[in-house]
Amino acid sequence: MNTPGIPAEHLADAPLDAADALVLSMLADLYDLVDPVPSDLVDRLQFSITLDALNAELAELQLLPEAELAYRGDQVSTVTTLTFASESLTTMIAISPDGPDRIRIDGWIAPAAEAVVEMHQGALRRQVSADADGRFAFEDVAHGLARFVVTAREPAQHPPVMTPAVEI
Amino acid sequence: MINAEAEQGTLASRAGEVFSRYRDGQSEAMAELVAMLTPILWHTVRAQRLDKESTEDVLQTTWLALVRSAESISDPRAVLQWLIVAARREAWRVMRGQARQVPYEIADDAVSTPESDQPDNVVLRGVSDSVLWSHVAELPERCRTLLRVIAFADRPDYPELARSLGMPIGSIGPTRGRCLAKLRASLSADARWELR
Repeated sequence: MNTPGIPAEHLADAPLDAADALVLSMLADLYDLVDPVPSDLVDRLQFSITLDALNAELAELQLLPEAELAYRGDQVSTVTTLTFASESLTTMIAISPDGPDRIRIDGWIAPAAEAVVEMHQGALRRQVSADADGRFAFEDVAHGLARFVVTAREPAQHPPVMTPAVEI
Repeated sequence: MINAEAEQGTLASRAGEVFSRYRDGQSEAMAELVAMLTPILWHTVRAQRLDKESTEDVLQTTWLALVRSAESISDPRAVLQWLIVAARREAWRVMRGQARQVPYEIADDAVSTPESDQPDNVVLRGVSDSVLWSHVAELPERCRTLLRVIAFADRPDYPELARSLGMPIGSIGPTRGRCLAKLRASLSADARWELR
């Protein structure tokens, strides 16, 4: 496959071949190795786009004593309760096991009001309704980074509220 | 490879399809597009010698610009080219700003490229990697940029991508073009190089 002695001008006019494809795929691997895309960049970009598009209020994670280890930590799955606070809303979620490697999330919104709660895990989105008492639940959830967007049924009540991503 | 391209489409055509879905009201398609195109955009901007932190800012600005201009983009199938051009413009804008703020010595230091300073810090995986790297490092900068970006796309996309990078027609695809030919010629003249 090597072509010693053939000048570059001749090579330039020839069609791309399988060896070019191989060199280029090695090159892509090489650039991924020496200058990798930061591992959480895609998630952060998706976050700022969603925040911008929703014109949303950003909630803050309130660290509770038993939840400290859970926030974006390497050690997952010990999470019990997380509370997110923003100007309009407080959202609390409780995480419990739901079969092998799966979890269940029970949440409360205060002040209580009907709302749509969307959970984002990467590109995956799931929607549930919060009832008039502000309660909602997601079942059969995979572990991983997740964030929540709470949109009131009555838009006048509050702007959409978005939580930071947390490891659940 | 031809069959795979026909079945799944190229990076540019898949991006166009996802972007069309976004414009048709599927807002979650944007997350898919970000995941699909962030690698090629990262390498596009980093090839312009921008530091990592500024590159992240450039990409954020670029994506927000896409969301805001989504309705005005005349051909959704050209979304990849649109993003590459927008990211490069934004990178130039940021670099001009940095050049004004940073003292000359530091600016000069920042010009050392990923191509020239990183391989020393990274253990390459084998002889073929280090051989390939050393020959890529010998290429003119515009060629390195071109090959670095197209390496993350599919063959039918090459001509349009080259155009988005400001390269002349015929830079690559359907023929090999000068940059890749130069690399192939210098590789083939290197006794250490063997294609697997």
